[in-house]
Amino acid sequence: MTLLLLLPALALVLGVFLWPLLRYGWLSLQASSVLTGLVPMPNGGANWQRLLADARFWQDAAQTLRFAGLSLALELLLGLGLALLLHRPLPRRGLVRALVLLPWALPTTVMALGWRWILNDPFGPLNGLLQSLGLPAYGFLSQPASTWLFTVLADVWKTTPFVALLLLAGLQAIPSELEEALRLEGAGPWQRLRRLTLPLLAPYLLLTALFRLAQALGVFDLIQVLTGGGPASSTESLALYAYLNAMRFLDFGYAATLMLGMFALVLGLSALVLLTQALRRRLAEVTP
Amino acid sequence: MEVSVLMPAPFADATAPLVAAFNREHRDLQIAVTRGPLDTEALSDLAISSLLLGDTPYDLLLMDVTWTPKYAAAGWLEPLEPLLGDDALTGMAPGAQLGNAFGGHLWRLPLLADMGLIYWRTDLMDAPPRSLQELATTAADLRRRDVVTWGFVWQGRQYEGLSCVFLEVLRDFGGHWLQPGDDRQADLDSPEAIAAAGWLAGLVRSGVTPAAVANVSESESLQIFGAGEAAFMRNWPYAWAELQKPGSAVAGRVGVVSLGDGTQGSWGFSMLRGSAHPQQAAAVMRWFTSEPSSRDLAERFGYTPVWQSLLNDPQLQERLPLLPVLRQALERTALRPLTPLYAQLSDVLQRQLSGLITGSGTPQAAMAEAQRQSTLILQAAGPAA
Amino acid sequence: MPIALPLLAALIWSLLPLLWQLLTSLRTPEALVLQGPAAWLQGWTLANYRQVLQGDPPFWRYLFNSCLVGAASTGLTLLLAIPAAYGLQRQRPALRGGISLLLLAAAMFPYVLLFLALLELARALGWGNQLLALALPYAGLSLPLAVLLLRAAFADLPAELEDAARLEGLNLWQRLHRVLLPLLAPAVASTAILVFLFSWNEYPIALTWISRNDMLTLPVAMARIAGSSVYAVPYGAFAAATVLGGLPLLALVLVFQRQIVSGLTQGAVKG
Repeated sequence: MTLLLLLPALALVLGVFLWPLLRYGWLSLQASSVLTGLVPMPNGGANWQRLLADARFWQDAAQTLRFAGLSLALELLLGLGLALLLHRPLPRRGLVRALVLLPWALPTTVMALGWRWILNDPFGPLNGLLQSLGLPAYGFLSQPASTWLFTVLADVWKTTPFVALLLLAGLQAIPSELEEALRLEGAGPWQRLRRLTLPLLAPYLLLTALFRLAQALGVFDLIQVLTGGGPASSTESLALYAYLNAMRFLDFGYAATLMLGMFALVLGLSALVLLTQALRRRLAEVTP
Repeated sequence: MEVSVLMPAPFADATAPLVAAFNREHRDLQIAVTRGPLDTEALSDLAISSLLLGDTPYDLLLMDVTWTPKYAAAGWLEPLEPLLGDDALTGMAPGAQLGNAFGGHLWRLPLLADMGLIYWRTDLMDAPPRSLQELATTAADLRRRDVVTWGFVWQGRQYEGLSCVFLEVLRDFGGHWLQPGDDRQADLDSPEAIAAAGWLAGLVRSGVTPAAVANVSESESLQIFGAGEAAFMRNWPYAWAELQKPGSAVAGRVGVVSLGDGTQGSWGFSMLRGSAHPQQAAAVMRWFTSEPSSRDLAERFGYTPVWQSLLNDPQLQERLPLLPVLRQALERTALRPLTPLYAQLSDVLQRQLSGLITGSGTPQAAMAEAQRQSTLILQAAGPAA
Repeated sequence: MPIALPLLAALIWSLLPLLWQLLTSLRTPEALVLQGPAAWLQGWTLANYRQVLQGDPPFWRYLFNSCLVGAASTGLTLLLAIPAAYGLQRQRPALRGGISLLLLAAAMFPYVLLFLALLELARALGWGNQLLALALPYAGLSLPLAVLLLRAAFADLPAELEDAARLEGLNLWQRLHRVLLPLLAPAVASTAILVFLFSWNEYPIALTWISRNDMLTLPVAMARIAGSSVYAVPYGAFAAATVLGGLPLLALVLVFQRQIVSGLTQGAVKG
């Protein structure tokens, strides 16, 4: 009986998540592009063969991983720091929290534009700062070797507050008596963090990491607006490549294949993270 | 009865008075213009999603020249020659006639012509350069003498503008994007193409062009040139009016010249398949592109007319000092490849060029790779394409 | 450890880029490219705000659209998620665990992958250019997280509470409505805000489902003024739009930050 209460929600979730995946599975086995007049025609595994041989897919996969890896690491680090800060009694805590959360609440496309202006060469404020220090202007968005770092910067700026929020919830779940007990034992702040806070926060960290990892691997709007994937495709993400194939090249068969390829990647990575966690736990049990 | 038209915002604004007049004069036929986004690619995304969503609400679409074959191949367009006759383009400048027909049908009626031009600073030199080579020499010399911060700005961001710039340089060096006479073969690894790519990269390496060009589109190049920071700029005709506006740091100190074949970038109307009243839509299309409408758009907004008669009109010339340059430029324009796969071809080229101007690899390697990938794309189309 | 220094750093980090947008929004295009300290004396203007507010359609239209879609998505999500969360909590542990795991997997899915199939769906069902129809995919995408959050909150309520209500003869709807929901208010509020912000920020689906100008939501409208506009760089206008678009959010976060945090604390990741 109570199962009935679940059905409408589950139906919608399945419709939104499962149906597209099934549809992509079918589309990925079809040629469906301007060359077929947008009519799907079975083409065996041609799309999949193309995917495996597509250097751009693998390059974008590597770039997406690089982006997601660094973003995630920085966000967890900064987010933890921010959460610890916001957890402490602060003057005007409500206002401070709201102000710190603001970057997360603004639409990505909105601030991506803002960053494009801030990083502008030569008229943006960052270059203004460099020039007033007597340094030459820097092409923040025109260096294939370093531009991706600034896409990470924009992402970290936007998402750290969200990570901090999730971790803050975790911090508040830690009973304050435990911290007090450790303090009485003479443990310093660093020790309390290592021996108490981090272990108890671990499930929150893991979950936040998985959640953010998947979102960062799907990065799309930030890149599209900030760099368009350039320079020299050095910031192109898999999602942007799939979008180009679908909406600019009108090659739906290959776009669907790219999306499934990306899905496989996300799935594999999440499994890897969970597996290493499980292994570490097993090891901790074995070694007393 | 209502004919609905989707246009990029600037064109919707420019044609608004004309449309209002039309709607006053015609009781039974009204034109409803939808103001699309400013940016070309954003408009393309919008048009495509509205077409993919089915039952598009528009009868007419104002399109960029490079979209036509793709839209036609997707089955979204109505052939126009049954509605407009076979001589719809007669009387237009040669450079404006290109790119409207594809696969034996007419798909598009041009509203205005557009082509790449070179802007130069009249206060920094006595006469404009006569070739791209001379431009580069002058620009380097002006920089050496510390007269100006940058020599030559153009569109180097990884997007369609970069392909347009490259095509002009390529033609200047005598090269071609696709092999002349066989449009299923790319020709990007020819010595001419390699030299053209090397020349562009050399501009950045030698400092004539700022390294920032790798993230510069039309608007940013106009910003740099408009602030008086560059001696030359490659841009479209619209920039001229922008540079004359009050507040412009270079107003009255700018000249325009056409060096070789400018990339053709015209805008024109296509009819979407499934329009409920094709006859009326065709009439609206004819009216928009007629000589009186073109004259009005030229007089008030400086839009380049496509009609020979207007390009030669002495009265119009008085109001548009740029007209002789535009007429000369329209004698010969460089057309981007007319294929449904153009977006892919251009994407591949942009990718390699962007790598090259940001300092990685050699022109030989970049163009060999562009050639290899273009060949793969064109092969997928098969002999029937 | 003195707290003022890291606090100041955090505030600067969060706010400086926003302040720069505020500044940019008050400058003329010519003033934006001036250099040196003298530049600050001139070129101040409100024209960017005028331009944005008097655009066609005016900017508040996008704000209104975004609010409408946000409210509809939030309402629909809660309507489906509250019963579902209750139902889930009442299942046998094995089934509950299984469904929870599936929902967790869905919550972590990079949803940008879905846009192409959802576009086809919108075409098949004739949902393109229907603002309220956007609430369906948004609710579908938000439901996994919403159900998980609310399920954890239900789990925190003592079981005797509902038993007592049942003994008093209250039916399921009455128990939910009169007894359980009031206790869940913080969790519901925080879930609602997460859903609202998601739909407020969502880009790829809105980009492909809506092609009519007057129906755009804020993120798409902003990206659309953007791209590489051919006519002079409207950075000032973007900045003005950012400021105008950000103010309602600032108000929202300011009013609800306590609920956002406490609702998550109630059991974001328990069970």
